[in-house]
Amino acid sequence: MATSTQPHGWRLAGRYALLIGVAVLVLFPIWVMVVGAFKPGNKVLQDPLLPTSVTLDTLRQAWRDGNLGRSLVNSTVVALLVTVAQVVTSVLSAYAFAFLKFPGRTFVFGVFLATLLVPFEATVVVNRETIQDLGWLNSFQGLAVPFLATAFGTFLVRQVFLQLPKDLREAARMDGLGHLGFLREVAVPLARPTLGALALFGFLSSWNQYLWPTVISTDDDWDTVQSGLRTLSQAQIDKPNLVIAGTVIVALPIFLILLVFQRQLVRGLTAGAVKG
Amino acid sequence: MSRRWRDAPLAVAFLAPSLAVLGAFVLYPLGRAMWLGHQRCGATGGNCQSNGWDQYIDVFRSDEFQQAFSVTVRFALLTVPVGLALGIGLAVLADKHLRGMGFFRTVFSSTVATSVAVASLMWFFLLNPSVGVLADWIGGVAKDPGLLRDESTALWAVAVSSIWANLGFTFIVVTAGLQSIPADLYESAYVDGAGGWMRFSNVTIPMLGPTLLFAGVVLTSRAFQSYGEFDLLTGGGPNGSTTSLTYLVYGNNSIIKNNDGLQAAVAVLLFLVLLVLSVLQIRGLERRVHYGN
Amino acid sequence: MTTMRIPPAARTANASRSARRRATSAVAVIGCLVLAACGSGKSILEAGNEVRPTTTPPTTVPGQTTVPTAPPTTEPRPIDSLPSCDMSALDAAAADGPVELLFWHGMSNELGRELERIADEYNASQDRVEVRLEFQGGYEQTIDKYLQSNTDNRPDLVQMPEYTVQLMVDTQSNVPVQACMDDAGYDASGILPSALGAYATESIQWAMPFNVSNPVLYFNKKVFRDAGLDPEAPPLTLAELAEYGRTIQATGAASYGVALDSAPDGGGGWFLEQWLAKEGEFYSDNANGRSAPSTRVLFDGPTGVELLTGLHDVVANGGGVYVGENPGGTDAFLKLADTSAPAAMTIATSAALGAVLQFVAGGIIQGIGVEDLGVAPMPSPSGAPGTLIGGASLWITAGRGDAKAAAAFEFVQHLVSPEIQSQWAAATGYVPVNAGSVDLEPLRTVYTADPRFKVAYDQVAQTPDEPTSNGPVLGPLREVRVTAAGAMAQILNGADPATALADAATLANSLIADYNARRDNAG
Repeated sequence: MATSTQPHGWRLAGRYALLIGVAVLVLFPIWVMVVGAFKPGNKVLQDPLLPTSVTLDTLRQAWRDGNLGRSLVNSTVVALLVTVAQVVTSVLSAYAFAFLKFPGRTFVFGVFLATLLVPFEATVVVNRETIQDLGWLNSFQGLAVPFLATAFGTFLVRQVFLQLPKDLREAARMDGLGHLGFLREVAVPLARPTLGALALFGFLSSWNQYLWPTVISTDDDWDTVQSGLRTLSQAQIDKPNLVIAGTVIVALPIFLILLVFQRQLVRGLTAGAVKG
Repeated sequence: MSRRWRDAPLAVAFLAPSLAVLGAFVLYPLGRAMWLGHQRCGATGGNCQSNGWDQYIDVFRSDEFQQAFSVTVRFALLTVPVGLALGIGLAVLADKHLRGMGFFRTVFSSTVATSVAVASLMWFFLLNPSVGVLADWIGGVAKDPGLLRDESTALWAVAVSSIWANLGFTFIVVTAGLQSIPADLYESAYVDGAGGWMRFSNVTIPMLGPTLLFAGVVLTSRAFQSYGEFDLLTGGGPNGSTTSLTYLVYGNNSIIKNNDGLQAAVAVLLFLVLLVLSVLQIRGLERRVHYGN
Repeated sequence: MTTMRIPPAARTANASRSARRRATSAVAVIGCLVLAACGSGKSILEAGNEVRPTTTPPTTVPGQTTVPTAPPTTEPRPIDSLPSCDMSALDAAAADGPVELLFWHGMSNELGRELERIADEYNASQDRVEVRLEFQGGYEQTIDKYLQSNTDNRPDLVQMPEYTVQLMVDTQSNVPVQACMDDAGYDASGILPSALGAYATESIQWAMPFNVSNPVLYFNKKVFRDAGLDPEAPPLTLAELAEYGRTIQATGAASYGVALDSAPDGGGGWFLEQWLAKEGEFYSDNANGRSAPSTRVLFDGPTGVELLTGLHDVVANGGGVYVGENPGGTDAFLKLADTSAPAAMTIATSAALGAVLQFVAGGIIQGIGVEDLGVAPMPSPSGAPGTLIGGASLWITAGRGDAKAAAAFEFVQHLVSPEIQSQWAAATGYVPVNAGSVDLEPLRTVYTADPRFKVAYDQVAQTPDEPTSNGPVLGPLREVRVTAAGAMAQILNGADPATALADAATLANSLIADYNARRDNAG
């Protein structure tokens, strides 16, 4: 991946300058929000770039008004459920598409891909009815079940499986490994970095799920952080700072996870690149 | 048992979990929506009666659908190419073993942590004409009446928010793609006398093929299905200039609110549009994609 | 993985093959888009229709006086055909312990907290009914969830905003509050007549008003003083509004006079209904849909055109500023806090008063304190007093058992009692629906100490007792408001009022016809 020439001297300085410039642009909205979250209500419009006054009151009130404590629990449980389930179902179906031969394989794969194209808004009302009939309106299962499988994950893992050398499969067969053995001993370990990425994306997309939680929960104990945030955003006019503070609280856990996983992810990606 | 069918039982077992969930929560609602799309229902949900399958055609050709379709397409044309280009740019920029690169990589991927709600609210405040920081800096239209309030700039402004929010995702995906390009390809090119730009266009871009295809399809499908941005930033306005197809289906200010049959028809038509687009994208581009092996 | 160098020759061959392929895809895509461009020029509402549904609305010729159609004499809906209410069921059930009452509401933040306080106190004070509040996130979400739920998943009592009257009636899912009032022998004379009237149609009292608000004028007294205007004499007519705006601009006390928005629930939709009512005009036919379902809107008549021309003039020549469609609800007010080009006045709901005062107290508007914020009645073309009822009301759900319905009405009586309304109004800034509340603490002190809170109440109290004082009852009222708001936006941006209103009216009439047709589908 890295070229054999490393920049040095002016080119190095130039690269760093560019990096810093872009980083500033990317971080700018986040910085403004973080600064605003710590400002007291009356000062939120002054000096938006500098933390001239710092208080925890806004955050505390946003926490209270948005019922963020309970929502964080709900979001976490649901996201974990969804993440685990998505990895498992994606690995299984990707294996089927990559290594198993059966009639209609292309067609079924096409159907899978087609599900990526179905706009969520089209399914929301019917899904709500289904969940309602199952009695799962205010529950973890209701929040998680529609997302336990995803064609996105299947697609991603299938790509990785397809790139595994054919001789690996041959070698495994000679070692007496059937499909399940090959899956367990060879395919999954080699796909681990991608599975890690999939888990991360699965967690994120569940955490960021915007529409579904607002539709199926009628009991605000079952709000997730995003629906809590949406409620906050419809707050009265005197509280733009509350919305900003809520935004920061909701994004914070993910930033922390990203911080931790970013290193794993990069290490995993660099180490796991299959090279001959 | 014939060879073709030998793997079938195992395949069924492996595919069953995904198919069960996708079938119940994506395909079944889609089917219902397709059936509902030719009906008209009372505002309170019941009393559905058929209005003829030509309802689909009329909906497709109606003013509101055409405008929403145009908005959606323009939105995708704005966000997808720019998003891809920026993602590639940032990934290449951060693709060196330099000191502190880990920090920069974290920064560049950070927007993936922002949800639609979070990102939209951030930009809503930044661009607010009365009190937003960016509005003050940009001046002009941004202050009066505001980038999100002016018909000619609103869609651009929403696009910027969306591009920013998707930057992290594209960066991560392209970085992963870059990591899997074998170093010897670059070395061969270097030995051949190719300069930096030549190496980029003749090695990097082609080898990134599958990655870019993947990212492109995902970004396009996301762009076509965007909803939260429009809901929070503009409420579909001003004057319908940011009413995308999804907002037409589900938005609070949509003219077909509480009109189940028409909502279903628009949603199904959106799906068909996406289907055609994706087939074109994959067919048109996959041949150019170099899978290696 | 074996790596491959791409030989130069192959590269070129690949490139031309893929270029051709790329061209084909591009053509295909463009082809699809061209096909799509063959629009029909018709509205989506007419999709699939062979015959235009029900009544063909007569086209209004601008300038022709619209003679309001005499309300057709129709039988009032017999209350016996509707779900009944039996208050004794509560006595029977309460013998076994308190009856749990599930109450969905859309009150956020302080409003929600005050409602919770009231409910907690109520639960503690008696043991027949136990109220359980569920906040649904806002009015729109409450409506959506109510419509999408089956009876088992609906609440026993629900708070619905004022524009959903016809929609709720058409759900056929409620016990009309009148049934309970009759059964309990409830004396509704204490409730403000216009508040009750807002939720009565076809001669039945469907719901009980709970929180009432109306639009008021907020203005910056300091700017008034700087401009040489009397802060105790705010503008009452549109003409004065424009004049004040010009003065403010001329003296440089602020950059603009009034900030107007075109939100459906604000300047574009709701306020239009208010202004027409103040001028004594019906918004839609059949007495605003209250004697029989409406078939068309009337806002494109001469009064409407004159009104919107006046508003346009305020923005164009009267120092006013148009702030857009205001999707977040805060734009118009934040214009007063703009440091570089502030406005001095805006029209907004009285329900926001408490929040706005806190906002100002925090110093968000440079240079003014709480005492500098003025509140005045909403200006109108002729300066006539009076207002339509805004806010929300309480609806009792049918099909959940007599005990629950009775419990619901029991709690409703508590919520609209003079004492509770006094507390509710004092804490929130809503207008009390019970006339007796004004003389009770804590409201009495609030009104004497800060007369700004009384402006909204006075507006309601001064509303003449006319049929036009009850706002329109339309099934698709929200969508019609969105349409009207669209016209308002265009007009404030400079379009011709008569044309814009006529177009909006055509679309609104289609919405109404479509709604009526769909409702009558099955029978």
